[in-house]
Amino acid sequence: MSFFSRSPWILHYDGSSCNGCDIEVLACLTPLYDVERFGVINTGNPKHADILLVTGSVNERNIEIVRNLYRQMPDPKVVVAVGACACSGGIFARAYNVQGGIDKVIPVDVYVPGCAARPESIIDGVVQGIAALEAKQRMTA
Amino acid sequence: MKRTTIPFGPQHPVLPEPLVLDLILEDEKVIDAIPTIGYIHRGLEALVESVEYTEFGYVVERICGICSFMHGMGYAVAMEEIMAVEVPERARWLRLIWAEMSRIHSHLLWLGLGADAFGFENLFMHCWRTREEVLDIFEKTTGGRIIFSVNRIGGVRRDISDTELAAIVTKLQQLGASFTETARIFETDPSIRHRLSGVGILSREDAHAVDAVGPMARASGIRMDTRLTGTHLYDRLDFEPVLETAGDCLARVVVRVREISQSIDLIRQAVDRMPKAEGAPIEVKVRGLPTGEVFERLEQPRGEVVYYIKANGTKYLERFRARTPTFANIPAMIKLVKGCDLADVPNIIMTIDPCISCTER
Amino acid sequence: MDGTAFLARVEQYHRDGWRLALINVTTVLPAASAAHGAPGAHGAHGAEAPAGEAPAGEAPAGEAAAVAALPMGGPGVFEIAWGFARDREFETIREQIEAGTTVPSISEFFGAAFLYENEIRELFGINVTGIGVDLKGQLYKTSTRVPFSHAAVKARLAALAAAPVKPS
Repeated sequence: MSFFSRSPWILHYDGSSCNGCDIEVLACLTPLYDVERFGVINTGNPKHADILLVTGSVNERNIEIVRNLYRQMPDPKVVVAVGACACSGGIFARAYNVQGGIDKVIPVDVYVPGCAARPESIIDGVVQGIAALEAKQRMTA
Repeated sequence: MKRTTIPFGPQHPVLPEPLVLDLILEDEKVIDAIPTIGYIHRGLEALVESVEYTEFGYVVERICGICSFMHGMGYAVAMEEIMAVEVPERARWLRLIWAEMSRIHSHLLWLGLGADAFGFENLFMHCWRTREEVLDIFEKTTGGRIIFSVNRIGGVRRDISDTELAAIVTKLQQLGASFTETARIFETDPSIRHRLSGVGILSREDAHAVDAVGPMARASGIRMDTRLTGTHLYDRLDFEPVLETAGDCLARVVVRVREISQSIDLIRQAVDRMPKAEGAPIEVKVRGLPTGEVFERLEQPRGEVVYYIKANGTKYLERFRARTPTFANIPAMIKLVKGCDLADVPNIIMTIDPCISCTER
Repeated sequence: MDGTAFLARVEQYHRDGWRLALINVTTVLPAASAAHGAPGAHGAHGAEAPAGEAPAGEAPAGEAAAVAALPMGGPGVFEIAWGFARDREFETIREQIEAGTTVPSISEFFGAAFLYENEIRELFGINVTGIGVDLKGQLYKTSTRVPFSHAAVKARLAALAAAPVKPS
């Protein structure tokens, strides 16, 4: 089955991000970086997704959405927090409506640093996410 | 007829950012749309309480990762006005050049997303491929792709050599030439026309009544552009805003397509007209604490942004407020959505070029 | 504020072809409690926060009554500026109001005002009457309720005074 395992589908959710990391996630899909060459496809449906890419921090309003998207994804699943805000709240950590990084709500497997995270590091994060996914598959198998 | 309420968003395939519209439908027609925002609301305006004014520019830049240069520039310009700082001319020219490059990259980004929304993925890829060339120039001149931090109160941090400026103009003109084919598809392709022409028409009167700004207003024939005020050296360039009169989704696309070549031309003019003064000062040291207040206006890719800053003689500002272009265009969007078909909602929302993180701050 | 005179001025701007550029509210803190006093003496962020500045804490529970019960952020003054633009010109109408005062909506003349006015009501707790599209407190949802009310701002400043942020 190994030739099936390396084609994870990605669900991208924008928490309270400034857009910077979001457009870098999109840039990963476009010709220069082209993450699809790894078999990665961006999907809009959580039930189809293996990896949840979250940019931006959690706030009062989106906390339930993040939880919901994670809950709907089938096991095994991996969460990649992209950018400083998703890792810790970043520059906005002290703002009144920012509760902190994504790990306050759901377990995070890979942290991608940067403000904004560069496409290279996002791809690296996804590739590490694939490894984490395979490790989880072995554990559940 | 039975009414149905359909929630649109926050996680939706055409939306890169979370926005919620409760669409109230009768059959396939949208009767009303109720916006809910706050998914990206961080409350960064309150950060003035704990971030010193010298560092607050980094927060302002991160209002939005697409217009980050313009936000940084707006903050710097506003603070310079409060503190009565005379900024070196070269720094002002460099700001103008970077600002116009931001417009090119932002419009390319949006045209790509717009194409994706109306189902033309090939065009999406082409626009974003072209955009990477602009980002390369940004990275070479500022060190960043998204967040540049090149503005500072009193000037800019980095100079661009005169030879490099000439090379940038050449590169952008080549980009403009290779973009003509993509531009032609946007303006003439029958499938795009079929999808966008006559959809979401905002008349000139309505555009004025809902206080639309930027390409949204210009696509409805309103000659409105903050660059016309001549501030930030635009008075030294030959500039006439791109206008369209149809006011539909296609007109909004066409305005942005043409503004790309216009911005390339503005950068050429700027490089021609700025003094060849490589090595001239690009910033002045700013000392002291600011007192006073200012309203500052700037033309971002999405339209007019208004900043209000009030300083009270301490290290911390008393109030920072940004009214971003999307905030001003949301009433127009709601007006357009009412009465349209459900299937046209994504296109209408996309053609206002919404930037939600700007809107909510 | 004189609501009738104010609306008459707004109507004049509307008739003269101005457009609404922004509505801004500033939470005005009394000099003593803000401690944004003399240059250099940045009391509230240092150790010497004025006495009697206990954090006001979260507003009481009861989300439903969120917007109706006013004033919720304690007494104080807000400065509201309505900014209008026409080509190169930019003018403002300024009013200082006590918390708890109602402010008339201008959405009758400037339809786009509804977004600003809903925002002001939710973030500052100022009761704006007659908003064209009343979103009933559903526009934002914030961890601190009414985050720019006097109580909330004072609570944040007091928290900062207790645990100052180290300059980076």
